[in-house]
Amino acid sequence: MKKIIWATTLSISFLLFVLPGILASTLDMVPANDQPGYNGSKRLSIYGERQFSQKFISRDKNLTAIGTSIKNPNLKNKQEIIFNLYGKDKVLIRTAALNGFNIGDGDFVKFVFQSVPDSGGKEYSFTISSPAAGPGEMLEVFIIEPTPDIIDYFYEEETHPGGIPLVTFHKPNSKLELIKTVYFNWFSRLLSPGSQKI
Amino acid sequence: MKNNKLKILILAIVLRVLVAGFLFHPDIKTYNFQASFLKKGVINIYSYLKENKSTLPLKDEFVYFPLTYFVVGGYQTLVSGLLGSGFDSWLSDAGSNSVVKNAGIFKYLTVLKLPYLFLDILVAFLLMKYFKDKKMGEKVAAIWLFNPFTIVLIYVYSNIDMYAVLLTLAAFLYVKRNKLLQASMFLGIASCFKLYPMLFIPFLFLKGKDLKEKISVCLIPIFILGIVVAPFWSPAFVQSALVSGLTTRIFSPGFTIGFGESIIVGLFLLSALFFYGWLFDKEVDLFNYWVMFLLLIFSFSHFHIVWLLWVAPFIVILAVKKPSLSLPLFLWASLAMAIPLFYQDRSMTISLFRVYTTWYDLLPTPFVVLQKFFDPYNFQSIVHSTLAGGTLVMAYKIFKKEGGE
Repeated sequence: MKKIIWATTLSISFLLFVLPGILASTLDMVPANDQPGYNGSKRLSIYGERQFSQKFISRDKNLTAIGTSIKNPNLKNKQEIIFNLYGKDKVLIRTAALNGFNIGDGDFVKFVFQSVPDSGGKEYSFTISSPAAGPGEMLEVFIIEPTPDIIDYFYEEETHPGGIPLVTFHKPNSKLELIKTVYFNWFSRLLSPGSQKI
Repeated sequence: MKNNKLKILILAIVLRVLVAGFLFHPDIKTYNFQASFLKKGVINIYSYLKENKSTLPLKDEFVYFPLTYFVVGGYQTLVSGLLGSGFDSWLSDAGSNSVVKNAGIFKYLTVLKLPYLFLDILVAFLLMKYFKDKKMGEKVAAIWLFNPFTIVLIYVYSNIDMYAVLLTLAAFLYVKRNKLLQASMFLGIASCFKLYPMLFIPFLFLKGKDLKEKISVCLIPIFILGIVVAPFWSPAFVQSALVSGLTTRIFSPGFTIGFGESIIVGLFLLSALFFYGWLFDKEVDLFNYWVMFLLLIFSFSHFHIVWLLWVAPFIVILAVKKPSLSLPLFLWASLAMAIPLFYQDRSMTISLFRVYTTWYDLLPTPFVVLQKFFDPYNFQSIVHSTLAGGTLVMAYKIFKKEGGE
């Protein structure tokens, strides 16, 4: 019986205290924020020459991906979708490409690129386009009001405040730091004053 | 010695409380949100949810039977002081991230899962009662309290089936004492939580002494279920609870025999066991039939992981009754637990850890990881086939008359 008690105690302890760390160690990137809410009433279409461009501020260093929700109505778009990231003075610094074939209607889509090391607090802009798509293969992005990170967007020769509800992803400095952050955040919520008060 | 037992019990409770507070399956929030309407005086939850769907933050139907609503809702009312003022807004929060980032989640999960702890300990107590031999009784309770399978099934997946499991086990203890009427009453009450205990009724029929008792033990559970369900009978109840995917999955068609007809594997196996007991078995031992039927159901149908709890107490009894089966049963349980972990459903695996961090949303499920080098459906089929093969051999071993053991 002792063996069973030990084995169960160890396996449950592993599940609760070790496995979360192992899972954290497999993360290649972490989001800087939750995706801002959007109601879907305001959308812009992307196809052919009609591309979308937006300015934003990267919250952290090692920017390595931009994620947002994209509509692919009736899953018609099976063309290439190109994401270009621009730095200061509109210099192209990163490019990522996806295929519409892999994008469901309303999916959260990540454009992943090689990390930009000193991106913390800096302003960038990006474009999303699907040049080979016709009007029947358009993609749609959602538009929200400006936030401290989402500045303005450029669409059909006009600039407007706000942009798409994006999430920036950043490469962690080290795996150990990442694991420590996960456990620290977990404990700090667990021990936050008054939260577990009965 | 007594002190030692107390320490072991405390350890069992501590492990359970930790799992309850740290791992989160979203079902517990969904059915507690629905049951919270009892505090507001809603009696018929089925039609209430249907009529108010457009204005409610969570749109799911209540897929459980009426007693579940009243017991969960009643408990919530009882402990509302412990849960605090932020609890109701947490329940109605539809944001997947804000729900797990709420610092109160540890307390909410622990308090909401406390009834399971009580039922769990009660199951251990009933299992002890099964054996006259004190040592065997202690062994069966220890195996129940210290196996990772039931801890995960009950506290990780927030298993509402625990109520039906306890009542079914109580029914079985009455069967063992040849008190079939009481057993059928317990099965009836259990069915008011979840429909599966009804599947044991044909075997109670086999055990009845005479025709009068045979008919009584079949009618009593149906009558109890009928009384509880009748006030709620409506299209909303039928659609949400009675013919929900969970209730009917066992009886989904297996293989076609042409012209629109199919053989339903679950029903086929139930029928085969019933006729075997009727025509061949002179001394029907209901334990064998109940455990065998459940093992067969899991071997030949696509099951939800929480259903495995139905068979867990019987497997533990079997492992103590027939020690030579304990390792094969451990393997069987491991295979059975492994299959749902490879379903394409995040809440079976990665999402359970979202209380630690929502960053885990970026991780692939075991299904996706496996997909990179092997077909996950093929893998599930391989494991399920192995499970089915093992079940058939164990069936032979279980039904083989004593002597070899």
